[in-house]
Amino acid sequence: MFKKKQLSLILGIFICFTSLQLSAQSDYSNYSKLSQRLKNLQSSNSPVCKLEALTKTVGGHTIWSLTLSKGDAKNKPAIAIVSGVDGKHILGPEMAVSIAENIVKNHADILKTTTFYIFPNMSPNATENYFSSLKHYENGNARKTDDDRDGTTNEDPFEDLNKDGVITLMRIEDATGNYIKLEEDNRIVVPADKNKGQLGKYKVVSEGIDNDKDGKFNEDGKGGIQFNKNFSFNYPYFKAGAGEHAVSEKENRALLDFLYQQWNIFAIITLGPENNLSKPLKYNAGGARKRVVTSILKNDASLNKFLSGKYNKITKTKGAPAANGKGGSFSEWSYFHFGKLALSTPGWWAPKFKGDSLVKAKKNKYANFLQWADKEGIENAFVPWTEVNHPDFPNQKVEIGGISPYIMYNPPFKMVDDISKKHTDFIVELTKIQPNVVLENIKTESVDNGFTRVTVDIHNKGLLPTHTEMGKRSRWLRKIKVAISLNKNQEIISGRKITLINSIDGDSSVKMTWLIKGKGSVSLEAGTSHTGIDKATIQLK
Amino acid sequence: MKIYRYTIQSLLLLFIFPLAINAQQGKEIFKATGSPENPKVQVVFNRYYTSEGLAAISKKIADAHPNLVRRQSIGKSTEGRDIWMMAVTNYKKGDADRKPGFYVDGNIHSNEIQGGEICTYTAWYLTENYGKNDYITQMLDERIFYIVPTINPDARNDYMLEGNTAHSPRAGMIALDDDRDGLFDEDGYDDLDGDGSITRMRRKSPHGNMIIDPKDPRRMIQVGSDDVVTAERYEFLGGEGIDNDNDGRINEDTHGYYDPNRDWGWKWQPDYIQRGAYKYPFSAPETRAVADFVLKHPNIAGAQSYHNSGGMILRGPGAKEDLSTYNRQDIRIYDAIGKKGEEMLPGYRYLTVYKDLYSVFGGELDWFYGSRGIYTFTNEIFSRFAYYKNSKRGQDVQYNFDKDLQFYDGFTPWKKFKHPTYGEIEIGGFKKNFGRATPGFMLEEEAHRNMAFTFYHAFHMPHLSVAEIKVKKLKGGLKEVTAIIKNDRLMPTHASQDLKYKITRPDFISISGVKVIAGMIVTNEDFNFTTEQKVNPSKIKVANIRGNNVVKVRWIVKGNSKFTVTVDSEKGGIVSKQGQ
Repeated sequence: MFKKKQLSLILGIFICFTSLQLSAQSDYSNYSKLSQRLKNLQSSNSPVCKLEALTKTVGGHTIWSLTLSKGDAKNKPAIAIVSGVDGKHILGPEMAVSIAENIVKNHADILKTTTFYIFPNMSPNATENYFSSLKHYENGNARKTDDDRDGTTNEDPFEDLNKDGVITLMRIEDATGNYIKLEEDNRIVVPADKNKGQLGKYKVVSEGIDNDKDGKFNEDGKGGIQFNKNFSFNYPYFKAGAGEHAVSEKENRALLDFLYQQWNIFAIITLGPENNLSKPLKYNAGGARKRVVTSILKNDASLNKFLSGKYNKITKTKGAPAANGKGGSFSEWSYFHFGKLALSTPGWWAPKFKGDSLVKAKKNKYANFLQWADKEGIENAFVPWTEVNHPDFPNQKVEIGGISPYIMYNPPFKMVDDISKKHTDFIVELTKIQPNVVLENIKTESVDNGFTRVTVDIHNKGLLPTHTEMGKRSRWLRKIKVAISLNKNQEIISGRKITLINSIDGDSSVKMTWLIKGKGSVSLEAGTSHTGIDKATIQLK
Repeated sequence: MKIYRYTIQSLLLLFIFPLAINAQQGKEIFKATGSPENPKVQVVFNRYYTSEGLAAISKKIADAHPNLVRRQSIGKSTEGRDIWMMAVTNYKKGDADRKPGFYVDGNIHSNEIQGGEICTYTAWYLTENYGKNDYITQMLDERIFYIVPTINPDARNDYMLEGNTAHSPRAGMIALDDDRDGLFDEDGYDDLDGDGSITRMRRKSPHGNMIIDPKDPRRMIQVGSDDVVTAERYEFLGGEGIDNDNDGRINEDTHGYYDPNRDWGWKWQPDYIQRGAYKYPFSAPETRAVADFVLKHPNIAGAQSYHNSGGMILRGPGAKEDLSTYNRQDIRIYDAIGKKGEEMLPGYRYLTVYKDLYSVFGGELDWFYGSRGIYTFTNEIFSRFAYYKNSKRGQDVQYNFDKDLQFYDGFTPWKKFKHPTYGEIEIGGFKKNFGRATPGFMLEEEAHRNMAFTFYHAFHMPHLSVAEIKVKKLKGGLKEVTAIIKNDRLMPTHASQDLKYKITRPDFISISGVKVIAGMIVTNEDFNFTTEQKVNPSKIKVANIRGNNVVKVRWIVKGNSKFTVTVDSEKGGIVSKQGQ
């Protein structure tokens, strides 16, 4: 009896403890925790959440696809949210799941008019490096790659020589080196500038051993193929991590195959390194005119500017560093090759330390970051240089140290909640202005001899155009279809049964008219998957 | 009962010896030069075969020559058909997939059918001549041919079995929404007269600008603005079809449309830039199957694809924007082979896609070269030159040929039809198998000449040997071993594109059986200039072995044992030689 009580007490304490643990999460969620959160969200909100396995990666991780919608998901405008595009960016997957939770809990009403397709983590193999006992960047999937293309695979990985659980840098005192200590913060090493009379004193390479004795350090570790380097726009051919051709990997292919089937997507939000929300992309006439377009098109640039303004206002963020795509990225693909309204943001960046009356702000990006980290009380932002014996440099002074990995790209975890909330607000705002085709001003006039003239405005009451300028060119956005259906004894005297309209600008309309012979009613519908479809039954006079 | 058993026996016999029964008696045959005298597998090469027909022939060839052919499916098509490949080499000699490989395919565009037969002819010719013709025998001892007669089996069948024009379908069978109305392939061609071809529709009209040629009822002549016409006037109404989806347009969303030859992963561009591109590189299962196969076979050094028509031997670049990929060194090799092709293929011209044809992204030949460093040609089979073996132009040529040499077999005469939209019309015109597909009696010749061109190309893939081993005694029980590695054909082991991006690994020249003290590449033997390889000196890494050239490597070794020098090159194969 006593034993039983004791057991339940222990159990009770245990339950309390675990629930406490859950409510007070202190660090980012790893792959399995995040998957569990998705499953929980789905099971407790099953009418509006659909969780599907998109594919399984070479490394054995399931890629999740979460659909949020009330009612028919396929025939109303949809927003896709894609994150975990870059393994360094641990914030992305966390944000995506938090945003999904926020929408379901606090904004469920928008699911009647907007569908969400959410892909929280496209690089699970890479993001898991953050949670491993050895924190290191390696942004690829588990595919074996010959990164330096020398015929041998994974022959020169890094090593944690100082056994501190993170991979940082090595600086080697060497007269032939090209680096010097930075004056304003001598923990930082920077390239020597001959024009300023500086002589190099250090060689700087990443932490490890030259296993294959080719003079290069850690150039062919486990590598893998990076999700955000494997897309077809400006694909970085033959670069390490890019793969043998664009969209070669299962997860890249599965995502695109899925997106290509969702005809209702009008916008794609990438939570990743590229940022066109803090600062809109600039239109470049030369790049836009070329056959292979390299600039955002003119109207889309204005649209980007408008949305960027909204983003900055709602998220109250500023000072974001410029972050354009580097080729092969997902967000560039979503605009240049898919033609959708493409928005991307890392969600967070280290704010600039501005200095105060006591401390002067440092100019160098890394030195300034360390000042900010110091102010925020972030510990271990810098791994202090410590000397090691290195087999490749037997008679030289070798030190290991540097800025900790991940810390510059991901905020302290306590900030994540607020960041996710603000980004949810921005997304909710986007749904309010989404393209929305409706039938307005339906008029019927009686003409002699049993003829009726029907007039209607096909109106886009959203602020956003039905098609981006790029989307008008893309075969992956449908045209707006206006179809009139007649009964047997009715006949069209003037007008067409089916009309396809290329696009309608925000808050604009197209007037249409038919002359119909006969009695009874006709049905009219207008729109397409990504604009919503409006229907009406019209009584003939 | 007896009769029954007898029937069973003879049926069994037929089953076991069908080839023997088909084959002619030796004494009834007199050999024509250049062709196998009495082949084990009888194939008729004056007609075309469906995908199943090609598959059946390739199986016969593989069954008849088990030591020369391995037949495998490299993947499934959209509709689930196997994409059959014949890997032809002498399997009794060497490691098949380590021999320099030559890849050939046909029919990427479904209506461009000759490739199927040319590929089949090539496999048939190689196997039937092995052991009989020294050139072929050596070729199969030293090289391997990967032959895929059709990489578009679904749409090949659609072209042959359904109502089509000479130009349709070019795509595979994945349904796409061409008019962006939300429906897929909802308004295709309609074979209204049931002749198997989509021909033309015409209608009598007082306002039309066409009349029937009084000298040839097949032909229509355009009326000029000054002409005084008494004959019945007609108007053309486009290709045979009806408005299936009631949208006021005819045949606006037929099969496809995407183009499998815009689906390859070199400088791929989406549909709005490159019409015909599908979702992403290798998004059609057929092209993906080929790419995956090629990526797994780095021994492929040369490649050929067959299209029609126009009589062209094409090389890249496909796109003007990709001009810099093809550099002078490689163009010299392309030129040497391409110009030889012009001699071997009368009526064919050696051309460059982007400037002589059109500027196009995502083509097969560009991926083979740009991404894999494989010298690749595309031949556009058949041209009007073939009709009368001259370059005479004009529409007359086709009408005359159809009349004089194939006795009106290529034309469906105009016939009346009641059309749901157009009313009383007439349907007629050239059939789908005339104009682009080679007429039967010329097909074998065209297959042979194109095959011979690929043999010339395959012959000039790298051909390596350890030409010479020199041993010099040094003091202290050491020896200096110098090996001269020769490549006596046109192509290097690495095309310059390959070298630039390290597509295939370096060639390894290694010595085994002795203790190696040092190893080096000899850059000038007379002045003794060398470059030492510090790590793993017994296996010297050489970036390239150029065409018609030698590479010299040297080791300082200890001991008196026999040793072996081995050259191991991805595209040049493996050769070795012993020394002492």
